[in-house]
Amino acid sequence: MLSIKDLRLSFKDNEILKGIDLEVNKGDVVTLIGPSGTGKTTLLRCINYLEKPAKGNIILDDLNIDYEKITKKEILALRRKTAMVFQQYNLFKNKTVIENVMEPQMIVQRKSRKEAYETSVEQLDKVGLIDKLESYPSQLSGGQQQRVSIARALALKPEVVLFDEPTSALDPELVGEVLKVIENVVSTGMTIVLVTHEMSFAQKISTKIVFMDKGNIVEEGSSKSIFEDSTNARTKEFLNHFNTNKLNVTKEEVYA
Amino acid sequence: MFDIGVFLNGIVEISKVVPKTLLLAMFILLLALIMGAFIYLIVHYKVPILSQVIVVLQSFLRGTPNVVLLFFMFAALPELLTSITESLGIPFDANKIEPVFIVILTFSISLSVFQSEIIRGAILSVDQGQNEAAHSLGYSFWQTFRKVTLPQALIAAFPDIMNSLLVIIKGLSLAYLFTVIDILGQAKLLGGFTQRYLEAFAAAAIIYWVLCVLLTKIANKIEFKMREGFN
Repeated sequence: MLSIKDLRLSFKDNEILKGIDLEVNKGDVVTLIGPSGTGKTTLLRCINYLEKPAKGNIILDDLNIDYEKITKKEILALRRKTAMVFQQYNLFKNKTVIENVMEPQMIVQRKSRKEAYETSVEQLDKVGLIDKLESYPSQLSGGQQQRVSIARALALKPEVVLFDEPTSALDPELVGEVLKVIENVVSTGMTIVLVTHEMSFAQKISTKIVFMDKGNIVEEGSSKSIFEDSTNARTKEFLNHFNTNKLNVTKEEVYA
Repeated sequence: MFDIGVFLNGIVEISKVVPKTLLLAMFILLLALIMGAFIYLIVHYKVPILSQVIVVLQSFLRGTPNVVLLFFMFAALPELLTSITESLGIPFDANKIEPVFIVILTFSISLSVFQSEIIRGAILSVDQGQNEAAHSLGYSFWQTFRKVTLPQALIAAFPDIMNSLLVIIKGLSLAYLFTVIDILGQAKLLGGFTQRYLEAFAAAAIIYWVLCVLLTKIANKIEFKMREGFN
């Protein structure tokens, strides 16, 4: 359903993505893992063209786009089939919770106010924030804001939801509530591409794990084949940082 | 020595021109904002030639006092218009232009370069994540601008825009030099009429002061309302 071919991207002379191929089937939960600065987030942002790849193809549903010749119309179409949950939530600061979820439906999908309201209430109920409809983002905790942003993304009924380190900016005690909401989304059969450093969570929910390093995909496969049975030296080295003494924080984790 | 009766009467008489002064100032501000928006776009998109002209104009307007600009415009504009209309063969006496139009034009041009800076700063102050969120949800360029960038930039720009209004109101006191009657003009007339300049100017000063305090209070109220929920 989502297929990326030979995707390349550079910032100035620095090659960030060096020819990525990625397949995502309908209902897949694909998790990108790997050290920081490896291009996981960049790859995710290429899917909805928040980053502009220099080369490559993307097929999503009935769209078949060559990044080199992408048009404004195609960018919009790509973005309207996907939704993104950001590390920093990025809720509209000057809008209440309910407005945040309603507005995109009314603007992008031209839904009526009533229809948008009903969908929004339903989605906000699912993330457990039905009592916060009139709050502003600044009045919510990070975990609550992230749950609103998930509701906002899902309300648009996208083909794929892109999660960009959704728990990395949260206080440790708030991580759980957001992971639980993501797990609920997974259980609905939604197609998901996720970037995270929560390894045990990734292991639990993913249908496919993609391990990236230095702008390349090193290895991909089922949770078991990566987390338990991998024979690749680089993969094992990376995962060891998480498996061994958690208190012994590595450089990568500090800068993560 | 200080005649309270004359002073109070001055307050009443001068107050009568406050609405006109306010309206004039708001109209100038509006024009300056519209011109400022165009200047911002020209500079932002680096329109060839025009953007260079603007850089020079900006530096010129920053470096010249408003009084000088007013005198210059009053000398230059009628001549310029006359030569244009003459060459086109249209009968038109440029000396009959209402002075107030020249005042409006001069002030709005001189302020427009500052408004463009206010607009630039306000747009830059909008968190890039807000725009990215809109893009990721499928908003088009204009939808993002209209629904996300503009409303948030307005909140950021509002205090500076209101400050500009106060600058215009005070600056308009220069217009009395060109027979446009505002607060100071009215005070001068009144002083001449009653031969009590001290009371008349004291009344004008108090009116300026009260007007600016009131406008600041109103602006703060509006800003508070706009920032609701905004940290």
